[in-house]
Amino acid sequence: MSDNPILVIGGGPAGLAAAKGIADLGRKAVLVEKEEYLGGTPIKEKYAALTPDFRDAEEAMGEMIKAVTDDGNVEVITNSTVTSVEGSAGNMKVSVQNGGSGKTIDVSSVIVSTGFDHFDPGEETQVYGYYEYDDVITLTDAEKMLKEHKFVKPSSGEAPESVCFIQCVGSRDRQIGNQWCSKVCCGIASKDAMEIKQILPDAKVFVFYIDLRAYGCWEDDLYWKAQEEYKVNYIKGIVTEITKQGDKLIVKGEDTTMGRPMEIPMDVVVLSTGMEPSEGTKEMAGVFNLPLESHGYIGTIGGPLNTVETSVPGVFVAGASTGPADLEDSVSMGGNAAMKACAFAMKN
Amino acid sequence: MSEHKYQDSVQLEQVIVDGMDISGHWNKMFVPRALTQFDISGLEQLRDIPGAESINNCYQCAKCVGSCPVEYVGSYGPRKIYRKLQIGTNLIEDDYLWLCTTCKNCVRVCPKEVNMGEIIPAAREKAVLGGFIPDEIQEMLQSVSEYGNPMGESARKRAKWTKPIKDSIKNLAKAEEGESVDVLWFVGDFYAYHGRGNDAALAMVNVFNRLGVDFGILGEAEKTDGDSQRLVGESGLFEDLANHNDALFEKFPHKDLVVNDPHAYNAIKKFYPGITGNTRNVTHYTQFLSSRLDELKALMTKSFDKKVTFHDPCYLGRHNDEYNAPRELINSIPGATFIEMPRHKEQSYCCGGGGGGMWLDGLVANYTSERLSTNRVREAVETGAEVLLVCCPYEVSRFEDAVKAVNAEGKLEVMDIVEVINACIPEG
Repeated sequence: MSDNPILVIGGGPAGLAAAKGIADLGRKAVLVEKEEYLGGTPIKEKYAALTPDFRDAEEAMGEMIKAVTDDGNVEVITNSTVTSVEGSAGNMKVSVQNGGSGKTIDVSSVIVSTGFDHFDPGEETQVYGYYEYDDVITLTDAEKMLKEHKFVKPSSGEAPESVCFIQCVGSRDRQIGNQWCSKVCCGIASKDAMEIKQILPDAKVFVFYIDLRAYGCWEDDLYWKAQEEYKVNYIKGIVTEITKQGDKLIVKGEDTTMGRPMEIPMDVVVLSTGMEPSEGTKEMAGVFNLPLESHGYIGTIGGPLNTVETSVPGVFVAGASTGPADLEDSVSMGGNAAMKACAFAMKN
Repeated sequence: MSEHKYQDSVQLEQVIVDGMDISGHWNKMFVPRALTQFDISGLEQLRDIPGAESINNCYQCAKCVGSCPVEYVGSYGPRKIYRKLQIGTNLIEDDYLWLCTTCKNCVRVCPKEVNMGEIIPAAREKAVLGGFIPDEIQEMLQSVSEYGNPMGESARKRAKWTKPIKDSIKNLAKAEEGESVDVLWFVGDFYAYHGRGNDAALAMVNVFNRLGVDFGILGEAEKTDGDSQRLVGESGLFEDLANHNDALFEKFPHKDLVVNDPHAYNAIKKFYPGITGNTRNVTHYTQFLSSRLDELKALMTKSFDKKVTFHDPCYLGRHNDEYNAPRELINSIPGATFIEMPRHKEQSYCCGGGGGGMWLDGLVANYTSERLSTNRVREAVETGAEVLLVCCPYEVSRFEDAVKAVNAEGKLEVMDIVEVINACIPEG
């Protein structure tokens, strides 16, 4: 049995859940975070409210962070990255780099929870003009405005009369190499649409989609709620290009249930950008020699019945480093990984 | 149709420009196929009408379209209405408002509980108030309001059908208040005025008498039940009719109120109480007779050696969940072989007469390839049945016309269930 601490890499929802789980099981954890703060993407990207429960993101994540930082069993190291590992199962020596200085930590097992990056809409093969038009924004840009309790046309600062979301930007696309559904964007777009309607009740809000994937109870909690209570219009048919005409954006595509082309003026277009393995996830896969699954996320063994164990003994994963994941997925995997990592430490 | 940039065309029915009549094809214009805006004002207006709110909730699964009887013979369904509402259509002023027969088949399958059974009458009420009302419906409403029946027949002649049997029937029209009967029989318009309805009415009288039922009719005092008037949006007229008829029900104490028209059954059971405050013990005649099945079977000693099929009326079946009573009667017909049509019970195909459809054949014909009743009769013929049984008075005339339309005269007969029951009871 190894008394060495368990290393958690990445302080987002999955990593925080893992670190707290380890501490609660009575073992020491070291949480290494590359940014200077904890909280992961919800904090970094300034999310307004969490999906699906609309809880204030800063407040909710703040509680999670505090639970970890207040726990004497967890050592938090921010502004740091893991650069190399030596040794093997049960007794690994991990190099942690903090700016110019570095140190080596002996650890018993490792949890990689390095998350995802949002797809860069400039890489899309469709012409959405994210970098050309101020009023074409992403979900995260929308979140930043909503966090300030406002929603305006970035070009003019005025309230938009019409807003649309374009789903599946950077997802479900073989040509750009992302053959996956990012799982959360339909729900998040619906949530953001509702928040926009709360601020601008008279705005016409549309969601253009290929397949609306508000899975599980998000169907009712987000999709139906947005349509029924907030009068958000869902149009089956995706937008292929955006052009500018005067101060309006023209979204062009096909309204598939009508079988008609559409060329619709909009004030603001929100691109529902999907998930990709983060740079940190790719780096950690390299450092720990973790095989990737076919989409480029960190591969696990055991298929759907073991979602956190990798083929490298003593190295576990959690959250969106394993594939598109929502918050429930991420924290559940964090807890599962904590349990398995502790068990591994006890056996080795 | 070619996928041309200007695929769609419109023409206005009546246009006069600078004194020149360019109605119809003279003003035919092509419109661009591309949608250039989503004008949802029609959707906003409709969902704001009390009762019509659920139109907003369509998520385009199209289960309704697969079940819509109008879609079988045209292009229709709540899903399509919803999309039209998102691209500028104002349903209140659109013919689409009048194609729905309120058969409720879409309501049965809709996962989002978009309730066309409530949306359509609510929207039509708005249309009627705004004067957007088809001529055919306008005429029908005029007749009801003047004569108490949609045919425009004289109210005084409502009991004329009883002449041959007036000694064996108690007409309460001129009776004193308080005259009581076991069964108050609400005869209905079609039984009272339509030739084939009269046949069924006379059969009903004989069946009542042979069962020894103490019954009476309201005769000249009865007015139409009003359900169709309610469903075309004339709620004021419906209220008057409900109050009028219910006052008669109150005037003559009875144990059972028997109706032969499922629309009357629906109105009296579900909508009169909200207006009059009175709940009546109303039963459809198939329910009443099936409750006396043993006595009835003992009387039905003549064989009816025919293959029969049965059409479930929307307003008895889907609207009021009664599928068994008519089947119990049919299964008791000696000698008859009962074959169900593929679309039966909750899947029954609408005859097209409900929700005002009875008076909309002209308008509906502009949007459909054939009448719904024709589609239904073709299905009945395909079962190999010799007799199409019905228990809604609207249907005999609709289906008999349809039998001619599909050249099935001599092959398929349309009969009210009570006519067959009566035919199985020997004179005595």
